[in-house]
Amino acid sequence: MAVAAETRVPIASEADIVAARQQVRALAAQVGFSPTDLVLIATAISEVARNIVQYARRGEITLSPIEQSNRRGILIIARDEGPGIPDLELAMQDGYSTGGGLGLGLPGARRLMDEFAITSEVGKGTTVTMKKWARPHG
Amino acid sequence: MIERAERAIEPSLTQEMEITGEEIERRKAFLEFGDEDVERLMSMNELAQQYADSVIEAFYRHLLSFEEGRAFFPDPALLERVKRKQKAYFVRLTQGNYGPQYVEDRLRIGLLHERINLPTKLYLGMYNFYLRTVASYLLEAYPQDSKKAFGLFLSLLKLVFLDINLAIDTYIHKRERTLRLQQEAIREISTPVLQLRQGLLILPIIGVVDSLRALQLTEQLLRTIRSNRARVVVMDITGVPVVDSKVANHFIQTVEAARLMGATVILTGLSPAIARSLVSLGVDLSRIRTVGDLQGGIEEADHLLGYRVVKGEELDARARPA
Repeated sequence: MAVAAETRVPIASEADIVAARQQVRALAAQVGFSPTDLVLIATAISEVARNIVQYARRGEITLSPIEQSNRRGILIIARDEGPGIPDLELAMQDGYSTGGGLGLGLPGARRLMDEFAITSEVGKGTTVTMKKWARPHG
Repeated sequence: MIERAERAIEPSLTQEMEITGEEIERRKAFLEFGDEDVERLMSMNELAQQYADSVIEAFYRHLLSFEEGRAFFPDPALLERVKRKQKAYFVRLTQGNYGPQYVEDRLRIGLLHERINLPTKLYLGMYNFYLRTVASYLLEAYPQDSKKAFGLFLSLLKLVFLDINLAIDTYIHKRERTLRLQQEAIREISTPVLQLRQGLLILPIIGVVDSLRALQLTEQLLRTIRSNRARVVVMDITGVPVVDSKVANHFIQTVEAARLMGATVILTGLSPAIARSLVSLGVDLSRIRTVGDLQGGIEEADHLLGYRVVKGEELDARARPA
């Protein structure tokens, strides 16, 4: 089955968050994720997209199907050139928020996905890289 | 005279579309439209007056030779009026003074075309027809100096592109406004708070919950709790595809606010996938009463309110004397 190559979703508003969720659902369904996984992935992308809108105002998310030793998955990279995060360790703690939210966005996204990495430089921006692997089903 | 009176009442389109004097200057600068272009255009005024009639007549003959074009002018009187306006515009192109009032007039004409749903292909086709016709007239007028004719034509091309841009902007502006109004309308109708029984409200939430919608939803719920003296609310989220931490936070705040108003909220319709994602996110819903489905939620609400649902025949049997 042919799977679409990289998809880019510009993020600058709440409407773009919805678009990102729809795009990732469509791609993840093609890759072969279960309906439950689709919701988990959509929730994770929603969290990172919200972070972009709230803190950096604009950025971009790229979605790509990936394959590794017989398993298929999805790679999500969220990039922004916003203010960056001074203390990543703190930002990855549950309940820590400078934006008045629940402070569960980034740590929550990490728990929703299989692999999660974040790099950030103050004044330069933030990049979140997440992967999830499809479990064989049906 | 009538037109002038209307103009005074309606807000200016340049303001509404945020095309300020500076913006007009920026557009002109981008087109490299300068004083020498204004001069060249004005030098063509005599020619324009001379040929306005034949150009416009030729264009409408062309337009009316197409089925699509004829559809817009079923009324000969309307056609004559439009032709008169087009002739005036044709001459206006060579009269200088391309400032805010000129732009306002262009926007108004654009809006008029949008209102009658004139397709942009006909609109742009019209400009193309004018340009082609004018080009041939210019070559005729300067048979020995085609360089001059071409220079004049390029100046006209700049102004025409400025005008086309304004016309297309009115189309986009109008459509965007329609879209916004529709979104607002959908938001209004998409959060109905229904009273099921005395004291019991149902709030079915369907679709995407963004910040604005969450706010409206909460406000409407609180108003209805007060006006209906509700004590229990069943909030059903079966139709919400994804609940991320922000949306969950909205729900928690809605429930808290309702509690302060003296109403208990029962949350129903959490799908297994959403339940899993909320647990992964670490959202604390322990303070919220959740019941699997809407039916269960209503049963729980009835219980809280002291209602009992009894089948008719059982009631009849009980009422019958032994």
